[in-house]
Amino acid sequence: MRPLKLKLEAMGIKVLGWETRQVTGWGEAGTVLHPAVRWALHQEGDVIIDAGYGTAGAGTLHLLEGAGTASDLRVLAVINTARPATATVEDIIVHVRSLGRVDGLLNNTHLGEETTVDLIQAGARKVTAAARELNLPVVATAVMFELASFIGERDICGNPVRAIKRYMPMAFW
Amino acid sequence: MTGNEVVAWAALAAGADIMYGYPITPQNEIMHYWTRMAPKYERGFLQTEDEISAGFATVGGVLAGKRAFTATAGPGNILMQEAMAMAEMMRLPTVVVVTQRGGPSTATVIYSQQELNLTCFGGNGEGLRIVYSPSSHDELFLYTIKAFNSAWKYRFPTFVLGDGYQSKMREPVTIFDPEARGITMEPCRPMVGLSGLPGEERDPAHLRNTYNLEDELYEVLMTAIKEYEAIAPQVVEWDTYAVDDAELLIIAHGVVSRAARAAVVSLRERGFKAGYFRPVTLKPFPAETLRPLAARARNLLVVESAYGQLKRQVQAGLYGLETPVTGYLRPGMGITPEEIVEFVHAKELI
Amino acid sequence: MAIAAQPQMPRVWRAETKPHKFCPGCGHGIVLKALGEAIDALDIQERTIFGCDIGCSLLSWDFFNLDTVQTHHGRTTPVLVGIKRARPELVVVSYMGDGGAYAIGAQHLVSSASRNDLVTIIVVNNTVYAMTGGQMAPTTLPGQKTETTPYGRDARLTGRPILGPELVAAIAPPGAYVARGSIANIVQLKNFIQKGLQNQLEGRGIAFIEALSSCPTNWHTNAAATWGFVEKEMTAYFPVGELRTPEEGPSGRFQEVPARGFQS
Repeated sequence: MRPLKLKLEAMGIKVLGWETRQVTGWGEAGTVLHPAVRWALHQEGDVIIDAGYGTAGAGTLHLLEGAGTASDLRVLAVINTARPATATVEDIIVHVRSLGRVDGLLNNTHLGEETTVDLIQAGARKVTAAARELNLPVVATAVMFELASFIGERDICGNPVRAIKRYMPMAFW
Repeated sequence: MTGNEVVAWAALAAGADIMYGYPITPQNEIMHYWTRMAPKYERGFLQTEDEISAGFATVGGVLAGKRAFTATAGPGNILMQEAMAMAEMMRLPTVVVVTQRGGPSTATVIYSQQELNLTCFGGNGEGLRIVYSPSSHDELFLYTIKAFNSAWKYRFPTFVLGDGYQSKMREPVTIFDPEARGITMEPCRPMVGLSGLPGEERDPAHLRNTYNLEDELYEVLMTAIKEYEAIAPQVVEWDTYAVDDAELLIIAHGVVSRAARAAVVSLRERGFKAGYFRPVTLKPFPAETLRPLAARARNLLVVESAYGQLKRQVQAGLYGLETPVTGYLRPGMGITPEEIVEFVHAKELI
Repeated sequence: MAIAAQPQMPRVWRAETKPHKFCPGCGHGIVLKALGEAIDALDIQERTIFGCDIGCSLLSWDFFNLDTVQTHHGRTTPVLVGIKRARPELVVVSYMGDGGAYAIGAQHLVSSASRNDLVTIIVVNNTVYAMTGGQMAPTTLPGQKTETTPYGRDARLTGRPILGPELVAAIAPPGAYVARGSIANIVQLKNFIQKGLQNQLEGRGIAFIEALSSCPTNWHTNAAATWGFVEKEMTAYFPVGELRTPEEGPSGRFQEVPARGFQS
């Protein structure tokens, strides 16, 4: 993650978390929560929290101070319909319901380098249908920069498009 | 998706009935995904008390005539060998996915290619096993399905030898129903719990792995060995690239073969006659195919994330050939194409 | 002229593989007869899978007209658990000696007991590793001479005999059946085994029956001394009787706790 951390920091984004060298030897699975992460919700400005997978779902957020009371905390379920576990409207609904607190969905349908516009739009349809059933808003559809111009400002269901630049391939995992 | 998730979906697609498992990094997510999917598809799972019982429960599952499989790594792989030796002796179609980590002992949880010896020869016998070494998620999916078929068709314990990098990397993959690709799953037959009253309507199945005399054992072994040698040509798989006029032949397996291939492409772009050979099955080892290619080359370079485990197999298979064999041996370390090219030039292999 | 009466053998006994290979005076023949009678009484021959361990128990690999698998030392129970989980309609019997069950296979015993695995386990306890020549075993009595305790077992150095049924009785959840019988009382032993099979058939839980047995070969005892050892010496350490029936709870401290996840 280190090259990513440096790159983001160069862009003016503060990354809260450990450096690899700080946690070497602590064990293979989770580590002690970094104090800055624990108090992230008390930081000034916008904070983006990536909670990842696991049986706790949104419950992971309870590790953060103030998660229960933070008034502007929004929990978004990021859905990639190209993944088989969330490939159908029904699967998406079951998955989102298993997470616990969710305030909105975000369509992140992609296949890395093999993403197509049709795939993203099909994903948008599924996510929007699931959102309707769940009575949740679709906050946005994420589209890689390279394809954003082919879709425009809104996806086929009218959800706002957020053009994204992908840095994750730089991280090994 | 990650390689571990791929394996779980492949097992599902292959119609695996039950997984027996025990936690060890880096294969844990195979169990995580399987346990989430299993109830939806009416498949079974049992987390056992250790890899010994996971291996033996898998043995039980296949004896009962069900597609049973397990997954492990490192020290777990060592414990698994006891059950695999029983499977080898009794010709049981077990399927084990091994996600190699650093070794020996606990070492790292990350990656290596250091479990080749163990996975190919880890029992107290002759190593009558089938071992596939995939290098991409598409292959991980395909060869997990193939593993079930090879196991049930040929009745030798079968392994999918992955590694920690493949387990955790995210790659796009096409998952498919085997039937859609013309792959018919080999039917399963129970060895115990057959129908009919034993002793009256049929003979009871009396299965053992112990013998009293040298001759008895010899006969049993030679039958299995002859059968293994007979089916080897049907099972063996390999891949080559740019070998026709290759002066330097780079040999690698699994995920390292990607770097080897990229290194060959890079060398060729600068006019060097490099070629690449990749065993896809480590057992049976494609020595016969490799020999003529190795004979034509001026140098062989074995590249692996172990200290000579692949190199030893290559040299054993090529015994008598005069082409010098060099190794770029990096136990537990990932290998990039650039490193390989640098090494090739540093050692003046081409 | 009297015609010698043939002893009545269970229907599930396979005549073609007799005489069996057990030593004269070995208890295995009696325990297996009790097991055979129980299988006959319940009429489950067609779906019973018999698994045996390493050691003298392996000599039973062709004993019955039952599908049988001889496994590795201590691994019989996990193999049968693997079979049972894959095909629950089968009845699985795990047949081991005291070494396989209490030493090398102890962790499997503990885990199967905790899981209440639907398997009927029979442990033939003769206080020694017999097949390998009579070494000390988990159930060797203090002071008992064996090949690896030539001066008598020193409990301070090597521990006391393991009480297998007591261990299982303490940890298995309700529904388990646990008993200890003896070759000295075959009717009782057969009843215990039958109840153990019944327990599996009714899906209640694990069934565990230890059978006190004899090994005159490694004990170097004559007939009288052999019976004396089984009936007097062994019962002093290993009480005979039922320790758990399916209606009872574990004998250890046990509280039924309802399943719940974390509330979030």
